[in-house]
Amino acid sequence: MKMMNNGYNSSFNSNSVGLMSNTGATTASSSSSTSTTNANSQSQGLKTYFKTPEGRYKLHYEKTHPPGFLPFSHGKSVSQVTLAQLKDKPAQAGPAPSSSSSASASSGVRYAAAKFLGVGGGNGVRAIGFAGGNGTGKAVNGTSRSGSLVGSNGSHSILNPNYDGKGTYLIFNVGDTIFIGDLNSPDKDPIKSLHFSNSNPICHAFDPEAKDGHDLLIGLNSGDVYSVSLRQQLQDVGKKLVGAQHYNKEGSVNNSRCTSVAWIPKSDGAFVVAHADGNLYVYEKSKDASVDTSFPVIKDQTQFSVAHARSSKSNPIARWHICQGSINNVAFSTDGVYLATVGRDGYLRVFDYSKDQLICGGKSYYGALLCCTWSLNPWHFVDFLLQVSGVAFDSYWSSPTSDDIEENVVYRFGSVGQDTQLLLWDLSMDEIVVPLRRCPPGGSPTFSTGSQSAHWDSITPLGTLQPAPCMRDVPKLSPVVAHRVHTEPLSGLLFTQESILTACREGHVKIWMRPSSESQSSNSEALVGGSSSLAGSRVGSSILK
Amino acid sequence: MGATGSKLEKALGDQFPEGERYFGLENFGNTCYCNSVLQALYFCVPFREQLLDYYSNNKSIGDAEENLLTCLADLFTQISSQKKKTGVIAPKRFVQRLKKQNEIFRSYMHQDAHEFLNFLLNELVDILEKEAHAIKSDAESSSPPEKISNGPKTGQANGAQKEPLVTWVHKNFQGLLTNETRCLRCETVTARDETFLDLSLDIEQNSSITSCLKNFSSTETLNAEDKFFCDKCCSLQEAQKRMKIKKPPHILVIHLKRFKYIEQLGRYKKLLYRVVFPLELKLSNTMEDADSEYSLFAVVVHVGSGPNHGHYVSLVKSHNHWLFFDDENVEMIDESVVQTFFGSAQEYSSNTDHGYILFYESIGTGNKS
Repeated sequence: MKMMNNGYNSSFNSNSVGLMSNTGATTASSSSSTSTTNANSQSQGLKTYFKTPEGRYKLHYEKTHPPGFLPFSHGKSVSQVTLAQLKDKPAQAGPAPSSSSSASASSGVRYAAAKFLGVGGGNGVRAIGFAGGNGTGKAVNGTSRSGSLVGSNGSHSILNPNYDGKGTYLIFNVGDTIFIGDLNSPDKDPIKSLHFSNSNPICHAFDPEAKDGHDLLIGLNSGDVYSVSLRQQLQDVGKKLVGAQHYNKEGSVNNSRCTSVAWIPKSDGAFVVAHADGNLYVYEKSKDASVDTSFPVIKDQTQFSVAHARSSKSNPIARWHICQGSINNVAFSTDGVYLATVGRDGYLRVFDYSKDQLICGGKSYYGALLCCTWSLNPWHFVDFLLQVSGVAFDSYWSSPTSDDIEENVVYRFGSVGQDTQLLLWDLSMDEIVVPLRRCPPGGSPTFSTGSQSAHWDSITPLGTLQPAPCMRDVPKLSPVVAHRVHTEPLSGLLFTQESILTACREGHVKIWMRPSSESQSSNSEALVGGSSSLAGSRVGSSILK
Repeated sequence: MGATGSKLEKALGDQFPEGERYFGLENFGNTCYCNSVLQALYFCVPFREQLLDYYSNNKSIGDAEENLLTCLADLFTQISSQKKKTGVIAPKRFVQRLKKQNEIFRSYMHQDAHEFLNFLLNELVDILEKEAHAIKSDAESSSPPEKISNGPKTGQANGAQKEPLVTWVHKNFQGLLTNETRCLRCETVTARDETFLDLSLDIEQNSSITSCLKNFSSTETLNAEDKFFCDKCCSLQEAQKRMKIKKPPHILVIHLKRFKYIEQLGRYKKLLYRVVFPLELKLSNTMEDADSEYSLFAVVVHVGSGPNHGHYVSLVKSHNHWLFFDDENVEMIDESVVQTFFGSAQEYSSNTDHGYILFYESIGTGNKS
């Protein structure tokens, strides 16, 4: 991929043709050194497996950005991972491979080259890739040039027919680029890179329910948001987004950093965008992105408020002012009823989304909260503290004592932190929740609604935010597994049916096969979990039941 | 310089805090260690206010001898009374005085910012103690100045404490550690209290302040060559030792031990480790009932890969804005930039800007004075 990108650049810009050999050489040398240091550092005390009570998880595949690609802004860009599952394309006149002979030839060559380079895996790929820079590079130059030229005329004119079928893709951002890799391919290098020239991508989300049209959201540091069709990106050969809807153009609605994006489940294409200034906007992909709405001035920054757009034609359709300081992560319950947010102010908030109502919330012990996620059962909820960068529930894990599930529900969840470790936790509801209930009022992080516990409801009226619990009042949970999985601080964690995915800030992703699944078969089912960024090593958790 | 000043003013616009001054400090040849610490201290608001207070109260007594305290107070007054909101000031008198006072800082070599901070705070304490003694002996009967009136009494109430005087410098920075040693034979616990103006923490790769503090308070076994003399057993015994924070300070200064002597190399080495420091810190290893909560307001950053060369800059939080001070330059930065100073996750890294001294101020109920 990298080599082809170089070719693309150089053939486009005559100034850089001369540079091409230079860049080629330097990248090659720097990349070879990176690959060796990577290889060294990866091997330094890092095992390719870890043991759990249920068995051994093995390192299956690794995914990373092309060698030599170094994000400029050290520490500023944090890689996030999104998994996207594309189903078989609905019966439709697919892009015929004969759309234009030269173009199809080029894309064919490209794909063949990519395939070829992909074989071998690991360091071999790199070596071949850079040898190609001198030899076969010419041919690739030519083809990619024609490809990009046509691509710039009309994005639909060349399509790679190889992405019509189903597949599971890994989307991750590094610096100013979004990379897409094939989850089920041993190829370490991504199959696609999308370059953003104006600002760095920060967050992304995929809508597995999208029937057609746009399913991928990308939020930028500048506040801009794009929605695109993932398949269309894969089929295009260029490095730019194609067929994108652009929201909050140049920060016209809100110019602060976009911190989290999420599709609203069961909403038919509505999504929310959280910003670093404490505001969250609701958009609908079916509505015109170019018409911006203006919202009234927020009177009291400290108060939660919702403003709806006056015109029903415009986007965004609503603004939620949630908190002072950044919203760091948002998550919808799987039924789309509840929205959880965490932020710089250290509060976890849970909203009844359709009613625009704050239901409950609580302050964390350690300060700013970075990420949150829902389990499949919406009222079992775990929030995570400052030093954890990613957290996810393992909905595929089943408790060994699942026969008495009624009395004792055990949840498996994982967390990754800046100490480079993956931690797996088993949370038993009877062990954790019951002791919490005994805590004196105010000191407890528990909260319940509905019929679960009338006792607590009487103490805490709807919409009350709890203060931070005292350390001694919170039951301590110890991880069942603590394993150092990367050399860099971690930023993302996902569970699939066959594997656990871990990602580090610098954009390396590791796929760990579960003990049970021997086959390397494809197709992971839907996933649970979101992740976000920042500090360390210690974990605290509190449960909302 | 004027241009950068106006740039900062433009950046802040009408949010420029009233009465606040953001001034860069001129470098007199490797005095960045001094400038970075002075900025951190200037934006330690309770310290600054008490220093300015002290200065205005004592000015009238007559121009007494020049010392580091008067030079510092003079510099801070000079900054705070500037007509312009931004600009550059030359801390000439202060640096001259510093060099006169201590030969370590006299050379043009790269100096250690923590060593300077430590020297400065101890020097200020000494000066204040001397003054208090002088006043006491001057007028035995008349009550001592209001500021220090609590000091001697509480000191004596504690009994055997040798340090009866609590100056305003102590009130800001001083905390109390207790060193508990439990003899493994007779189980007797011996507790020894010691005061501190800052905590020096050992660091590890990919760790956090919270985990470093946990290690600091972890139990250590004294055995073999390093046994403990138990007064009750009257002999050397195996023992367990741990350090706890008995009284957390109002301003918690944490020094990360980034400069480590490596015996095999026979020299100091800079540890580039990535140590996450949170914007809000909870101290849970204290002996007090409630956990103490702190908010980060300044970071002295060491720039460079080795201990003997490099540069110091500081990050300062003032009125909810983060500012970056690099000698005469002052810039506004986003809070998210602070995390780029945590350190390097791998040994060979192009990033050499590392948080070195952290300044936390106590928030909430623990707020005294």
